[in-house]
Amino acid sequence: MDKQGYSSPIAREFAQEMARRNRIERIVGLAPVAILAFLVIVLSLVADGFFSLYNMQSVLSQLSIPLVMSMGLTFVILLGGTDLSGEGLGGFVGSIVVLMVLNTRTNLDWGLWAAVIGVAAGLMVGTISGFIHVYGKMPSFIVTYAMASVMAGFAVLSYRGQPAMSKYEFFITLARGRFLGIPYLTWTALVIFAISYVLQEHTRFGSYVFAIGDNERVAKNTGININRIKILVFAWSGLCIGVAGVLGAIRIGRGEVVIGTGTVFPAITAVVVGGTPLTGGKGGVVHSLIGALIVTVINNGLILLGVNTYYQAAIQGIIIITAVALSVRRGRKVVTK
Amino acid sequence: METHSLLFSASKMAKRYPGTTALNAVELEVRPGEIVGLVGENGAGKSTLLKLIMGIEQPTEGAMAMRGEAYAPRTPIEANGMGVGMVFQEQSLIQNLTVGQNVFFGLEASYVRCGFLDKRRMYEDTRKILGEIGIDYIRPDKKVSNLDFATRQMVEIAKVFSVVTRRNAGGNLILLDEPTSVLNRSEVDNLFDNMRRMAAGGNSVIFVSHRLDEVLDVSDRIYVFKDGRNAALLDRKDANEAILYEKMVGKTVSGEYYKEDRQAVPGDEVLLEARNLGRRGFFGGVNLKLRRGEVVGVCGSIGSGKEDLCAVVCGDESYTAGELVVKGRVERFASPRQALKAGVLSIPKERREEGIIAEAPIYENIAMSNFRAFRRFGCVSARLERENARRRVDELSIRTPGINQSVGFLSGGNAQKVVFARILSSDADVLVLNHPTRGVDVGAKEEIYSLIRDITASGKGMILLGDTLDECIGLASRIIVMKDGLVTREFDAPAGAKPEQLEIVKYMV
Repeated sequence: MDKQGYSSPIAREFAQEMARRNRIERIVGLAPVAILAFLVIVLSLVADGFFSLYNMQSVLSQLSIPLVMSMGLTFVILLGGTDLSGEGLGGFVGSIVVLMVLNTRTNLDWGLWAAVIGVAAGLMVGTISGFIHVYGKMPSFIVTYAMASVMAGFAVLSYRGQPAMSKYEFFITLARGRFLGIPYLTWTALVIFAISYVLQEHTRFGSYVFAIGDNERVAKNTGININRIKILVFAWSGLCIGVAGVLGAIRIGRGEVVIGTGTVFPAITAVVVGGTPLTGGKGGVVHSLIGALIVTVINNGLILLGVNTYYQAAIQGIIIITAVALSVRRGRKVVTK
Repeated sequence: METHSLLFSASKMAKRYPGTTALNAVELEVRPGEIVGLVGENGAGKSTLLKLIMGIEQPTEGAMAMRGEAYAPRTPIEANGMGVGMVFQEQSLIQNLTVGQNVFFGLEASYVRCGFLDKRRMYEDTRKILGEIGIDYIRPDKKVSNLDFATRQMVEIAKVFSVVTRRNAGGNLILLDEPTSVLNRSEVDNLFDNMRRMAAGGNSVIFVSHRLDEVLDVSDRIYVFKDGRNAALLDRKDANEAILYEKMVGKTVSGEYYKEDRQAVPGDEVLLEARNLGRRGFFGGVNLKLRRGEVVGVCGSIGSGKEDLCAVVCGDESYTAGELVVKGRVERFASPRQALKAGVLSIPKERREEGIIAEAPIYENIAMSNFRAFRRFGCVSARLERENARRRVDELSIRTPGINQSVGFLSGGNAQKVVFARILSSDADVLVLNHPTRGVDVGAKEEIYSLIRDITASGKGMILLGDTLDECIGLASRIIVMKDGLVTREFDAPAGAKPEQLEIVKYMV
């Protein structure tokens, strides 16, 4: 027995190794914030007009949809699953919302109720995906990917190939208006963020999501209804996609399936870059907020620097692969003793 | 408190698996406020009994009673509800939740108001529970992933304690499975204080450990298990380490069982050598030479580092100190595949997960470690694979309807023989056998022993992690004993002059 009371030098080494890994883990956990700060500083120096009030507002406006989508996805990814239904489902919700407000195609004029119905549709489709995933024992990526295709089809069918234009005044106000210098759309996204944070930190649901992602067996042995939690997570993700679809419709003022196009990838990137590994169990919505900021700032910077959009897509792909690779490496260092 | 009443009793407990009996006619009684130690070799049935008590598995025979009432939990949740909880060897805390969230995990209902968790009240109650077992220096709002290992262990105990004491203030039963393996002395002392405090509150503890000094330190009575049966029951005042050793180990089984007369005399050529080999935090300073025709047995309890040594030798983990020399070349395997190229192959412990491809037919399983040998015109030839498989099935008398049979349908013993056939069909001449007879019935065990003799006679060398100590002694020609990551002793074990189990156990615990 040595000075610190360990029965052997190996036991002491083990304790030191554990402590070292914990320290590294903590430092690596701060990496996303450092990356964001680094990006902002570098872009301020090299990209003309990046650090201006106008551009900051534009960044915040661009942030809204990826942020909303990533809020739902965070919970799904915390479980260790994924939700790819956003492209089709977001497009569908956006399409039907415009058909239900004052528009060029139908005689409906339901005002804000259209948005409520749109979000409810997202919630419903998410719930269905969750049911199929849980009770059909099918991987979530394939269920939701298929669901994206189904909903994209319904979206085009809803306006029979000819998208409706919104004539709803309030949507136009929302799209352009600001409060305290921050666009209304971004406020909406921040409200979703706040709700997500409360869900994660101040409800049982939040704890159980972490638990299932970390160690499903422990959660099961504790008597938690795992299936119910999983379905709720997909329902929540569907709701967020619904909100994103409504925001998309407000932004472009036209009810078209392309509202969803290209929204899922930045959202997944935001979650993973923020520090929630695809294997789940750790991370969370605050991480995803940082991740969404990183993704948005990069895109904004690339546009300001005049980088070709095809390069932008390629860069996004490289970022997500790098982020996933880093999180896997971190995950591998798990002590199995 | 009535001194004669029992808190918990188990009588005539038996657990049989196909081909093996893990537990046989075991009796256990626990009085209120008592700490009961449970000791025995690996495979003596300690863990099996705990699983039955926790409702993780169901007994084949026998009955249990808790506070005089029949007790037959089917799930750990049911056991918890009856006031029985267990601290598992692998920790079950959720890393990214706080201490308080973990302590009340699954029991949050009383802290929910309008759907929201009243964390402040939950943490207050957590502080009380932590205070009750004397660890209120831990902050309830700290994330478990930020705590060190020993503190997590304490939180784990607090969690189990809070679960079982929900219904009854006293008279609960807490099972601790090897809780001290990574704690230092002051942490162990703290743990023992907590155990005594729980006992003083009328709760009882079953303490399983392979460290006899600790068992002697904290237990009121000590049960010794051997080969799935009760071997002894001692009061602490009547027990000492020597007596416990003696009860734990048995007489070494006759050499005939292990075909000792066929034990090869090691050749001169050194196949594998470990020079001061170490893996930081797991084991260190291991020196070992394996010659042709030799079986080197590695003995040690859980956490002794023998499994990690084995993983390093077969390329599953890397080493951080010393060197590993295979046939004269210093090797640093990055994968089991590289190890195989150098001629090192292992028979893994978890056969179903690591040793066989259950869905694949026998002939493919046998060819798998050496597809190169079955190539014709650049492709793997099923005909060559089949020819080889037919020969091996005969040679090893694998009982199967045919070589196209999926290995998953074979019995444990026959599946293991398929693994041996695969190894024989490879070019490897250093074999690492990790529990080669686990889950194999008695008859097949003898055949495997015979096979091991044949293989060593043909000039291969083996590193053996025996399923029991007895097996290790019976088969090995040399034995190294490990404890806490270090080699504590080496024994020669030539045929006819085998060391006694008691000799070896002394250096293990």
